[in-house]
Amino acid sequence: MKLSRRNMLKVMAATGAGGLTFGWKAFVDRPAGLARATALRGETRIMSVCQACPSGCGIQARVVDGVAVKLEGSPIHPINQGALCPKGQAALEMLYHPDRIPGPLRRVGPPGSINPADWEPISWREAITEIAGRLASLREAGEPHRLAFALGETKGQMNDLFERFAAAYGTPNVIRYDSLSHQLVKTAHLLTLGVNALPAYDLENTRYILNFGGSLLEAGRFTQRYIGGISYTRRGQPNRSRMITIDPRYSVTAAKSDEWIAINPGTDAMLAMGIARFIVGNKLYDEEFVREYTMGFDDFDDENGVRHMGFRSLVLSEAYDLDRVAEITGVESTTIARLAGEFAQNRPAIATLPIRGGLHTGDANGLYTAMAITALNALVGNIEQPGGLLLQHEPAFAPWPEYFVDDIAAEGLAQPRIDGADNDPLAEHVLQNLGANLNTGEPYAIDTLFLYHVNPAYVAPGGQRFTDALENVGLVVDFSSFMTETAAHADLILPDHTFMERWQDVPWEGLGFAGFGLSQPVVTPLHDTQHTGDILLILASALGGPVRQALPYDRFTDLLQYRIGGLEDADWETLIRLGKWGHGPYTFAGRGSEEWQYIVGRDRRDAYRDGRFDFWSRELYYRLSGINPADLGIKATGDEVMLPHYEPITYHGDEDEYPFILNSFQLMALGEPEYTSNLPTLQEIIGMHVGVRWDGWVEMHAEEAARRGLADNDRVWVESPFGRVKTRLKIVHSNHPEVVNIPDGQGHTANGRYANGRGANPNALLPPESGLAGTAAFSNTRVKVYKAEE
Amino acid sequence: MTRWGMVIDLDKCVACQACTVACRMENNTPVVSPEESELGRSILWNEVFPLESHAELAAEDTGADFLTRPCQHCDNPPCIKVCPVQATYKSDETGGQVLQRYERCIGCRFCTVACPYGVRYFNWYAPEWNPEIARHLNPDEEVSPRARGIVEKCTFCIQRLHKAEQLAEEEGREFRASDYQPACVQTCTGKARFFGDLDDPDSLVSQLARSRRAFRLLEELGTRPKVIYLKEG
Repeated sequence: MKLSRRNMLKVMAATGAGGLTFGWKAFVDRPAGLARATALRGETRIMSVCQACPSGCGIQARVVDGVAVKLEGSPIHPINQGALCPKGQAALEMLYHPDRIPGPLRRVGPPGSINPADWEPISWREAITEIAGRLASLREAGEPHRLAFALGETKGQMNDLFERFAAAYGTPNVIRYDSLSHQLVKTAHLLTLGVNALPAYDLENTRYILNFGGSLLEAGRFTQRYIGGISYTRRGQPNRSRMITIDPRYSVTAAKSDEWIAINPGTDAMLAMGIARFIVGNKLYDEEFVREYTMGFDDFDDENGVRHMGFRSLVLSEAYDLDRVAEITGVESTTIARLAGEFAQNRPAIATLPIRGGLHTGDANGLYTAMAITALNALVGNIEQPGGLLLQHEPAFAPWPEYFVDDIAAEGLAQPRIDGADNDPLAEHVLQNLGANLNTGEPYAIDTLFLYHVNPAYVAPGGQRFTDALENVGLVVDFSSFMTETAAHADLILPDHTFMERWQDVPWEGLGFAGFGLSQPVVTPLHDTQHTGDILLILASALGGPVRQALPYDRFTDLLQYRIGGLEDADWETLIRLGKWGHGPYTFAGRGSEEWQYIVGRDRRDAYRDGRFDFWSRELYYRLSGINPADLGIKATGDEVMLPHYEPITYHGDEDEYPFILNSFQLMALGEPEYTSNLPTLQEIIGMHVGVRWDGWVEMHAEEAARRGLADNDRVWVESPFGRVKTRLKIVHSNHPEVVNIPDGQGHTANGRYANGRGANPNALLPPESGLAGTAAFSNTRVKVYKAEE
Repeated sequence: MTRWGMVIDLDKCVACQACTVACRMENNTPVVSPEESELGRSILWNEVFPLESHAELAAEDTGADFLTRPCQHCDNPPCIKVCPVQATYKSDETGGQVLQRYERCIGCRFCTVACPYGVRYFNWYAPEWNPEIARHLNPDEEVSPRARGIVEKCTFCIQRLHKAEQLAEEEGREFRASDYQPACVQTCTGKARFFGDLDDPDSLVSQLARSRRAFRLLEELGTRPKVIYLKEG
């Protein structure tokens, strides 16, 4: 029996919400069994997709007697081509982990408790009945906007499912974690190229890579894609590319680069502008491209006859005199000139952006840095051509069914977002704000919050604020597989399958051409877990009306098959066997072609979609109309606001009291899903480059340590104006002396037996504020480091 | 004769440690406690480390900051000469891997001292896994967990050779060198590892071993390793 919302409300009236029953049965995902059986011991190999980080590598599981005993990279998957990184290799420890949440739980103890006695098992039926009743009442009361979703890395159809559910139900509050991760890369591309998407790079055909701050080979979001592309070019002379890494920290990526530039922290935009000045001043840029396909390179008059400064005038102005650039960046002017010359004359050359780290500075510095670096690619015309910046194409899935937006939904969707993203002209998601807004109840109180694959209490600067705030929410539901810091504050935990037990499409990123990997169960689910997609569809079915109309599927696999059915030559059986669908190689949109005209400017909301790259951002100009840039923390004025430029980071903490700048960095051994820190094998290899295992650390330059009388392995406090953490000191010889580095991912206070209580969480030292485009502040905090009493 | 060898291109290697973990998952090496691993007693048959911490290994300038180190499978291995019970031996009939007969090993650790590369690992304690995590252990007989008090080491994943040969036989075809590769080679993220027959002059490993960039660790000791590195650049 399936219930429409109206029927369900009748049932509720008759039985009370607690007694609500409907046609829900336990779903069991099973491996599809189309795997190639080898002659040996009846083993099977099942194709799937690793989701231990956002890369989306294809995997091949070796399954013996129903037990997964080894994962290999899928040799036919274009992202990893047979390779698999340590996180993927260790993921079996996650599947068979003793800390997995075995079934639905209700918290009966104090918030934040990780003591099993404070949690009582409940049935899926009971949990879903409660939630369905609550959502129905909330909607009936005309307050659907008081439902919110906080989403971590959410791939493919799951992302669409959440968004459709929310839109049909009537809430604007689908809040993704982009502001904690990669938002500015997208925003910078939107404001310049007019494409609101992460970049793809044709690394295989690149001759020269200027890598600004990105740990491309360790933690670059599409890490395996970067490694594959860059290692391909390293096949001896004369084909070998050169890679220059610009980073205050001597990362593994820097060590693997041909040259490391230990730039002053936060001055990457200055260096990019200095390089641009040399290229422009010496006419080394691609003149045809700049003339025909860009906007705002030269000074121009707008339609009202007002004169505006272009990029050329700005980079040639005194502000970017190479001696001044050298002074601010700490990079010698001769080096700047050489880098500029090499970049302009070894085409195709590409300038790459960091995905997180340095860009999210909590002010306007990060966005303009990303724009300045992107402008370098435009100067050498390296867009949509071999060896250059590509656009990631998406598969054309079957269209979603139409549904009726009723009055309740329309009114709910018209409400302001709870994270305040609509108060910022550039923000899309501001997850770190959620805590503050929940605390104040402004603009309204949230009734029900769903958390999916995200742990803001750990990962957001000022995470503590978040956990306190959760107490103000009527019902907090977390779909986590492990007891994270955030899950420990939930009212209900409805554990999702792990990625080796669930169906999921994982669209390709970073390759350019469209395609996806199919994640399928490699084993029957070990515990009483359910696919979160199935749970949402049951809720949609229980709610009935427009929500059911928008999502007329009983199971997530039905939805997936429907959507995939729309693809050209996609056959379900073949898909299961190969574990992927896609069409390469990439076809470049030639300059000025029809495709080019469509792509360049595609996602501009207010400015012309005219196939021109904006040095002077028209999109930004329109978005800021009626807004004083200073109110957004932009220090520049006039035309400079619309142009890439350098503005210094405003640091928290007085330089005399807090002599170091804190840099939190990502490790190869840990992925974004935080269960990776709870895998014993990854703990054993975690700090290979500094000789640390099973612990966290802070890296400091040897001379600075000597000056303070600190020795290697000393226990130290790292203190910022916002808090302090205790950890182990590691002395390094190659590092910017003014910067100390703490790896992200250790310092958990929950999260499982192998993760809890090791090292320090750098996010606990950061300010709970947002910069331009709603991005969190990861790199604008000064710290002091002093010896801890044992 | 087949002579299995490995080439590791340090220009492509990104020190990601996938080899380290793939080896563990394939060969059932145990996780040791934090205290033991702090003492340097981790059992990782293929460890990656900064070269500055093991400067003695590469006398010449490799250009690399990191080294990934499996057993070098020497053609003239010092470890077998000191073993009092012939537990360790070079398996010429399977292509020259240096192997260990665990049931013979008496745990004297002469071999771990004799090995100039430091790739022989001693089980100070009985290996332990959390019983749930232990479900994923590789069921192949060759890699059943080793007991306390014995030495273990990289085998070039000898179990994979056995399976590849068996598979070729069942499929009624000849075994090819490309049927067999160790777990670390298969998983390598930078595609920095190559594996094949060094006695076949046309094999890729033979060609790479003749490259100008090729060198062997501690070549001057006369151990004649079958693992060949390529310098950066």
